[in-house]
Amino acid sequence: MFGSLKAGDKGKIIDISHVGHLVQRRLLDLGITEGSEVCVKCVMPFGGPIMIESCGQCVGIRRREAVQIEVERI
Amino acid sequence: MEIALIGNPNTGKTSLFNNLTGSYEYVGNWSGVTVEKKVGVFKNNIGHLIDLPGVYTLNPLSKDEGVVTSFFLNESVDRLLNILDASQLERNLHLTLQLLEFEKPALIGLNMIDVANKRGIHIDASKLSEVLGVPVVPVVARSGKGCDKLVDVIATKSIQPTKKNLVYYGKEVEEAITLLTAKISGKTNHSARFLAIQYFEGNDYVKDYVNSIADAEKLEAITANLELQLQKLYESKSLANFIYLKRKEVIESIVADVARKSNSDIPLSEKIDSIVTNRYVGMPIFLLLMYLMFMLTFDWLGTPLSDGLDALLTGPVTVGFEKVLTAINASEFIHALIINGLVAGVGGVLVFVPQIFILFFFISLLEDSGYMARVALVMDRIMESVGLNGKAFIPMMIGFGCNVPGIMAARTIETPRERLLTILLTPLMSCSARLPVYALFVGAFFAGNKAFVVLSLYVLGIVVALILAKIFSSTILKSETSLFVIELPPYRLPQFQSLWRSTWDKGKGFVRKAGTFIFAGSVFIWLLSYAGPNGLNVDMDHSYLAAIGNAIAPIFAPIGFSTWQASASLITGFLAKEAIISTMNIIYFVPNDASLQGLLADYYTPLAAYSFMVFILLYIPCLATVATIYKETTSKKWTAFSMIYAFAIAYVLSLIIYQGGRLLGFV
Ligand SMILES: Nc1nc2c(ncn2[C@@H]2O[C@H](COP(=O)(O)OP(=O)(O)OP(=O)(O)O)[C@@H](O)[C@H]2O)c(=O)[nH]1
Ligand SMILES: [Mg+2]
Repeated sequence: MFGSLKAGDKGKIIDISHVGHLVQRRLLDLGITEGSEVCVKCVMPFGGPIMIESCGQCVGIRRREAVQIEVERI
Repeated sequence: MEIALIGNPNTGKTSLFNNLTGSYEYVGNWSGVTVEKKVGVFKNNIGHLIDLPGVYTLNPLSKDEGVVTSFFLNESVDRLLNILDASQLERNLHLTLQLLEFEKPALIGLNMIDVANKRGIHIDASKLSEVLGVPVVPVVARSGKGCDKLVDVIATKSIQPTKKNLVYYGKEVEEAITLLTAKISGKTNHSARFLAIQYFEGNDYVKDYVNSIADAEKLEAITANLELQLQKLYESKSLANFIYLKRKEVIESIVADVARKSNSDIPLSEKIDSIVTNRYVGMPIFLLLMYLMFMLTFDWLGTPLSDGLDALLTGPVTVGFEKVLTAINASEFIHALIINGLVAGVGGVLVFVPQIFILFFFISLLEDSGYMARVALVMDRIMESVGLNGKAFIPMMIGFGCNVPGIMAARTIETPRERLLTILLTPLMSCSARLPVYALFVGAFFAGNKAFVVLSLYVLGIVVALILAKIFSSTILKSETSLFVIELPPYRLPQFQSLWRSTWDKGKGFVRKAGTFIFAGSVFIWLLSYAGPNGLNVDMDHSYLAAIGNAIAPIFAPIGFSTWQASASLITGFLAKEAIISTMNIIYFVPNDASLQGLLADYYTPLAAYSFMVFILLYIPCLATVATIYKETTSKKWTAFSMIYAFAIAYVLSLIIYQGGRLLGFV
């Protein structure tokens, strides 16, 4: 689970289908989908968004969506 | 010849556009700077270049992306110039493959070579060109390197793509494509294969287009059948996803062929990010930066410069005008018009040019460095709690310069509800044209803590916007959907030259407005103050202007400024907020050394002055902003709403401040 990752942890996305359709599309546009390797860069306080990196590209997403993405730690 | 620039957001399309056409369009380091189509002429006159908003695919999510898709369907171009970010090749190629399916002459500008090299990515351009079947020219749009070569290639006659069907989508999809093409071929000038694939991907613009030329039900049936087949055979999630994966396969093999990666050091970006988006200090750093910007604009640097300019204008410049007017024996009317009308009105606004340029310099710095997107990230939690998303903060920050581009910038917000909310609330951000009013009043009443009082107004604007966002989003603009995914571009060290250009570009508007709009307005207002029901050269209290002001003045009595002078300047303030200052300079014109600031103390108490500033901050968007709101919402209802709610909230707040202050014993 993304929720359990902390800043600096790396993981591989295994299931993204529970996330809302629009967010899924946007992430896909940015090249983030099932099979992508991601690294958590930082986690904002008070349940704020998190910043992830994939293929040298940093992206900010909300915590709510992040916890719906299934990630396998690597 | 018409050439269209197409590429992912933030890949340097506008930078290249500026370079090739010698124009100056808006450049900034975040995704979604350009929101409208812009046309320019090549420096060497080979044709027109068209700059478009950045898109990731041709299947749009937001309004600015839709601009590109409808451009594709409805307008004809001779060449497509696809800009790729060399440091993000894989992601960029998804769009390229779609463009090539369009089967129009195309070429590729491989931009940001410098960034890629720094990251240890080396791309073999000639090999890429060979694989894709179109010319590929490496460029650095920012410095202009490689642009000459690019222009040469654009100008050469035939660059029809040499390869067809780069992506093979598998037997089932290809068969469906053939079926669909059979239904529409002959009825359109566009590539039928392109239309078919976009249709399968669920592109709404293409769907509408195709449905207008073929039987919608039959097409629907083909798609449904294909989707079912794919699900059965490959357990694919959706047709769009299947197509995406096929493209991805092709891209991976291309990239493996053309790109070479060597070791590189940790980018500076990451080091900066670990500080500015740090969970504890991110927000304090943002506030600190804002504070620095304020102190420099209003206290440390801006005020001394403005005071100097003021001394110059009221002193030597006025004396010079007087001398010339006496020398040419100007009539008393002309004399009064120029000295009491124009010099007072236009000069009164020009005095603030230094402060405005400093403010614009900082806004340009924020835009060009890459910090803007980080601010959106840092602010998202707060914005989410009021029913908006962090991206809405970008239009608001731009709105500090001028509300008009701020409202335009809201186009990149994907969900219509959040976009509308952002459009409605951006005018509450205190734009640079309101700055002269504050500067004048704080100088007169709050000299001790200028920056602090002004800062309180800016913060008030933001707080009111957030509260209203909460109210609107839980009443009239209710909806569940909210989308926040933001691309965080790497930091780029702003170049002094481009910083200066974008500062100048924004500031120019202010100066130009002073020379045209305010100039004409000053003449008009002065005439109204010079003439009255009893003839010309009347005492100002019996002028037409006073009559107009007096008519509405009673409304403002409860909030502390019932003079006709205040009412008259508020009316002109609707045309442009700076006009408030020029009107006041004309109305309170004092020929001798007594300054406007000194004179104001006779008309306002400090409490009334603060109430007045709050009212000006909120009361109504200026004419240009209202026009933009109408253009962006295409709704008379929402445009009227934006004016009415602003007036109501301004009145209520000023009332609370003035009456509350009096109860507490302030005067
Ligand atoms: N280092 C480097 N920076 C570049 C280059 N080209 C553009 N930039 C910078 O990249 C940023 C984005 O440039 P823009 O020209 O606004 O990009 P755009 O593609 O028009 O962006 P959108 O309008 O948002 O789609 C700016 O900060 C530019 O200064 C380049 O070749 N090298
Ligand atoms: Mg642009």
